[in-house]
Amino acid sequence: MIRTIGLAIAFSPTAERMLTEAAAIAQQFNARLVLIHVGEHGEKEDLMLDLLLKNRNLSKDSVTIRWEKGEAARSILNACAREKVDLLIAGALKKENLLQYYLGTIARHIMRRAKCSVLLLTQPSLDPEGFKNVVVNAEDNIGAEEAVSLACQFSKKDGGTWVHVLRELKMYGLAMSASSQSSEDEYEKIRQGLIKDEVEKVERLVQKISHENLRINIKVVSGKSGFELAQFARRKQADLLVVEAPPRRFWFLDRVFTHDHEYIFADLPSSLLIVQSRREEDNV
Amino acid sequence: MSKLSHSELIHLMVQLGVMLAFGRIMAEVARKFKQPAVVGEIIAGLILGPTILGTLSPDIFDILFPKTGASAVVLDGFTKVAVVMLLFIAGLEVDLRIVFQQGKQAVFSSLFGLIIPFGLGFVIPYYFPGFFGNNGNGDHLLFALFMGTAMAISALPVIVRIMMDLKLFRTKIGMLVVASAMVDDLIGWMIFSIILGMIGKGGHIAVGYTLLLTIGFAAFMLTIGRGLLNRLLPWVNKKLAWPGGLLSLSLALCFLAAAYTEYIGIHAVFGAFIIGIALGDSEHMSERAKEIVHQFINNIFAPLFFVAIGLKVNFLLNFNLWLTLLIIFIAFAGKIIGSGLGTRLGGFTWRESLAAGFGMNARGAMEIILGIVALENGLINEVIFVSLVIMALVTSMTSGPLMKWMLGNTEISKK
Repeated sequence: MIRTIGLAIAFSPTAERMLTEAAAIAQQFNARLVLIHVGEHGEKEDLMLDLLLKNRNLSKDSVTIRWEKGEAARSILNACAREKVDLLIAGALKKENLLQYYLGTIARHIMRRAKCSVLLLTQPSLDPEGFKNVVVNAEDNIGAEEAVSLACQFSKKDGGTWVHVLRELKMYGLAMSASSQSSEDEYEKIRQGLIKDEVEKVERLVQKISHENLRINIKVVSGKSGFELAQFARRKQADLLVVEAPPRRFWFLDRVFTHDHEYIFADLPSSLLIVQSRREEDNV
Repeated sequence: MSKLSHSELIHLMVQLGVMLAFGRIMAEVARKFKQPAVVGEIIAGLILGPTILGTLSPDIFDILFPKTGASAVVLDGFTKVAVVMLLFIAGLEVDLRIVFQQGKQAVFSSLFGLIIPFGLGFVIPYYFPGFFGNNGNGDHLLFALFMGTAMAISALPVIVRIMMDLKLFRTKIGMLVVASAMVDDLIGWMIFSIILGMIGKGGHIAVGYTLLLTIGFAAFMLTIGRGLLNRLLPWVNKKLAWPGGLLSLSLALCFLAAAYTEYIGIHAVFGAFIIGIALGDSEHMSERAKEIVHQFINNIFAPLFFVAIGLKVNFLLNFNLWLTLLIIFIAFAGKIIGSGLGTRLGGFTWRESLAAGFGMNARGAMEIILGIVALENGLINEVIFVSLVIMALVTSMTSGPLMKWMLGNTEISKK
């Protein structure tokens, strides 16, 4: 349930677009909008923010404004914790250069460290069309149901047509090679069985979730998780990719030995929603 | 350039044909009894080799598989290539991200599943060397280290097949067992390569330097080398014929790495294993490509290798019942206690933990490969090799049924 939305805002050329997108999403979810700015705060900044809000027909009373100081990513995340933000929206480059990738930029720091869900917008617009082609990853983790549910909500609220639910078939090559001492029929049966098992698991998950008027496409892929997910999102020209937050915080070594979500973080195939299912527990 | 004569070529073709055909027949018999193909292939080697054919009809055996001559040399070359390829696919099977995903549970399970069998396998031969007879080069420390390693490794393909048959493959415990087996194999083969380096068979390189080169090679290939391969593969997939380009290049790298590790005084298999891990870890090495490599090697080169095992050693003459029973006991005790305890510490029930221990107990082909390399390098004698092969077969054959028995109708962690 998204009750409070945070927007990490800087007075950059994309600030107005980011505010437009965030306001539209806040309206969709009937959520409170918190604007978080890290840096100097003076008369000039007040005026710039007033102008931004005015341009998007937003009154100052309709939003909460947090002026923060200090290291950007940490300050934003601290403000999120204080304001009990459920979804933090930030802008992000699709791909960063090698140095930025290893050192990590603000957006990447946020997505690796956030304790709330994070929506990274790669191409914010002044006229948001919403997400009409959503790809979501559904594995066996606790947060899978929430991720698929949010993917459907984002899609449905925008009159979206397709939600592609992607599931990984782990160690497919190894499983099939271990089955190589089977007859042709048995071999095919094992292959089909492996895929069918995964499809059925996703079907059971989808049945629990409200998805009226949505076309659900269940797809099973094999290969490196994260990498295949990003590739699929690219092939489908998705406008939103939804994933569960990784079970643990990634650090430098995870970038050297790239795996799972790091494949996505390294080169965003679309806007990215990282669903943090621990949020409710953290608030208790 | 010297070449095979007309008759030697015919001889070689007959040898390969007989080995593949008989290996397949026996693998099919094993399959009927729901046993791994390696069981049938080893039995085919026993029947064709000195154990049965050589005893019943020595003349036919000598004609079919002469110990000297060009065809014997070429056949030996085939089996050497086969074992290198087998370790290459063993490396491809190691999926480090599966290990990452299992987190601390995999750490507990794999480390206990490694340390306790290694400890038992080391301590008993080290303090009671007399019971194990005269090992190859008489160095008790190296022998005990080898026995520890032999007890620590596992047979990933056999374990995967068992998990699939028991419908546990994608369950939490299934993934944990598979991840732990990967870690144990990785560490086990690294320890074994160090032991081989300590023998100092690469006479032109000092032992210390060999060890340094071994560790350096593994560290380089699993970090920078792995990254370079990951950048090379997209180009290979895009510009070269698929899967031909990928397969040729993969095997070329496998043989070059094998040549390097053989040169520095360890064994060719280690280079193949490490390059397999580095290649298999690339996101651009597709599962389909891996499957093709597996099928090609598992069904052509693996049978040749395992049948050839039976051709090299007389299993009846070298069979020692008490030694075999002791080795089987150490193998069972080490893995079941070690992996069981590790899995329990990872948060599973005792029943699930013991089932994981039984699953990890399968040694299969890896044990036999380890054994033959040790035999060829004088680390063990034929009596111990025979006991190790029997232990590998017994653990592989009993692993599935014992796991099934332990789990019974228990509702396992299928999450």
